[in-house]
Amino acid sequence: MSGRDSTERSGAAIEALRGPPLVLGTPTPASLTRSLLAYVFGAPGRAWWTLFALACLGLGVFAWALYQTFIHGVGTWGVNVPVAWGFAIINFVWWIGIGHAGTLISAILFLFQQRWRTSINRFAEAMTLFAILQAAMFPLLHLGRPWLFYYLAPYPSTLRLWPQFRSALPWDFVAVSTYGLVSLIFWYLGLIPDLAAARDTAKPGFRQRLYALFALGWRHSARHWHHYKTAYLLLAGLATPLVLSVHSVVSFDFAITNLPGWHTTIFPPYFVAGAIFSGLAMVLLLMVPARAALGFEQVITARHIDNLNKLMLATGLMVAYGYVQEHFFAWYSGNVFEEAAYAAKRWGPYAPLFWGQIACNVAIPQLLWFERIRRSLLATWLIALVVVVGMWLERFTIVVVPLSHDFLPSSWGVYVPSPVDLGLLVGTLSLFAFLFLLFLKVIPPVPIHEVKEVLEEVSP
Amino acid sequence: MSRYWVLAEFAGPKALLTAARILRDEGLANVDLHSPHPIDGADEVLGLGASRVRWVGLVGGLVGAVTGYVTCWYTNAINFPIDVGGRPLNSAPAFIPVTFEAGVLFGAFALLFSMLAITGLPALYHPVFEAPGFERVSVDAYWLSFSIRSAEDRANEVAERVKAMGATRVSVVKDPRLEAMR
Repeated sequence: MSGRDSTERSGAAIEALRGPPLVLGTPTPASLTRSLLAYVFGAPGRAWWTLFALACLGLGVFAWALYQTFIHGVGTWGVNVPVAWGFAIINFVWWIGIGHAGTLISAILFLFQQRWRTSINRFAEAMTLFAILQAAMFPLLHLGRPWLFYYLAPYPSTLRLWPQFRSALPWDFVAVSTYGLVSLIFWYLGLIPDLAAARDTAKPGFRQRLYALFALGWRHSARHWHHYKTAYLLLAGLATPLVLSVHSVVSFDFAITNLPGWHTTIFPPYFVAGAIFSGLAMVLLLMVPARAALGFEQVITARHIDNLNKLMLATGLMVAYGYVQEHFFAWYSGNVFEEAAYAAKRWGPYAPLFWGQIACNVAIPQLLWFERIRRSLLATWLIALVVVVGMWLERFTIVVVPLSHDFLPSSWGVYVPSPVDLGLLVGTLSLFAFLFLLFLKVIPPVPIHEVKEVLEEVSP
Repeated sequence: MSRYWVLAEFAGPKALLTAARILRDEGLANVDLHSPHPIDGADEVLGLGASRVRWVGLVGGLVGAVTGYVTCWYTNAINFPIDVGGRPLNSAPAFIPVTFEAGVLFGAFALLFSMLAITGLPALYHPVFEAPGFERVSVDAYWLSFSIRSAEDRANEVAERVKAMGATRVSVVKDPRLEAMR
């Protein structure tokens, strides 16, 4: 074998390892900027208006449900005495979990230098922000008197009372508000150069002035990039443990009680895995249609979708392992109450929801082992939808079943959601869609400067 | 004497770095580069050391963590102690979540605000924006800028020299901010 052959061969091997390109075709920086901003600057099409109108309709339902909750109180919900936590807590845990994928993509994959994250991180971060917003709303509504939520903040009040920091509720308050603010800072910092690009390419007018204001006068100076890069890297470093902590803190709400079915040490890692799993599904659910509608096939390629699907499969397996372990613990503990709580999950009145959860989160995602499925847009979208629904069911069985089936048979009870509960669910989904649709039309949804960096590396 | 900003556009990052290196070697301290994305090697050419942002971030994070713990301890163990089943008032394990989250929160704010303070942003006006074609720096243009205090003739002379280094276009902008201050 000659030397030249082996060089060629190793060159081909490196090529194969590198995988398909992250940016299709040979766009110039100018054409890339134009195509990535075209949707933001263009007039909204019919599909956008239709979805927007639907979201506004849903907001009407939301307004009604909120009115009922504020004026008549949480008695309008389906919650009752054994099951005091209903849809509000289910939605809270579900949304905050969905938020986790954005930080995973933007911070954790950034630290691991996964270049493919560049095309999708802005998208995922926006999803995170809006999901946190939804999540933050529910514990406050759940308080019963939401207008007194500021009691949770440690401020020297005339009541001379302080929050009780040995309880999980103030932990939640601190964790969720920190997560929201840090995600906002991270998102905004990444956005500054792109807002400058929007400022410099938009038609003169009100919108351009708005971009100029929020771009803070960014002039792409190397002296600024220098500090910017360090701040961004360190923020990613801070966001990484933060994202792992937030759902762990949420799981403490359950795990530090002594209710059978909640009181288990596996909850923090199991919640984090489920969070990222559901979040990746939500990213795919939004990205697959948006990519075609926005004309981003060039920068969000089959490889991006394939990678996200692989991550979803991996986190899905962790979640499945969590299910196996919690049921095993319940049996192996020999504790009759633990066993009864998990038997109630499997065979009780909510058994269809539990088996639905197993089908959605464990069985169906196994299809992602096949490359053809991972690269099919329709299959990906359907599986993502199934997982998002399955994770909601998981939150339902976690919150409701142990409460409905505690130590004393005399205090067992069944929870059925009320129309107001359903109105809040429809409303929160609509508010999320409303914010996301506005985001697509106002803010550059793909980080332009980062894609240019990738382009620069490919063709120096 | 006024302050003049000399701006020169170059064809690509390599030409830009070469020109910047020459100007730096000649002792011009305030050369700056403008590019659509961070350029590899720019920090080195401009002689920028590690960013001070990291120290501010570290201090912010530590201050946050201490604040978080002290808040829990002062409110629940000193100012309004509540005995819950004889558990210790200063329950360190229960205070860890708040300590950690406050550390992250203060650290993130410290990073953001220190970056803004060090870079002098927000600064909605800057004389470099006056140069025709400078807005292309958001898209695909590579510019070099520096300021000198001199008479106008001298500024034009310097601009000619930069042009000779291979710049495709050169502008000289008078800094109106100093004029206004007079």
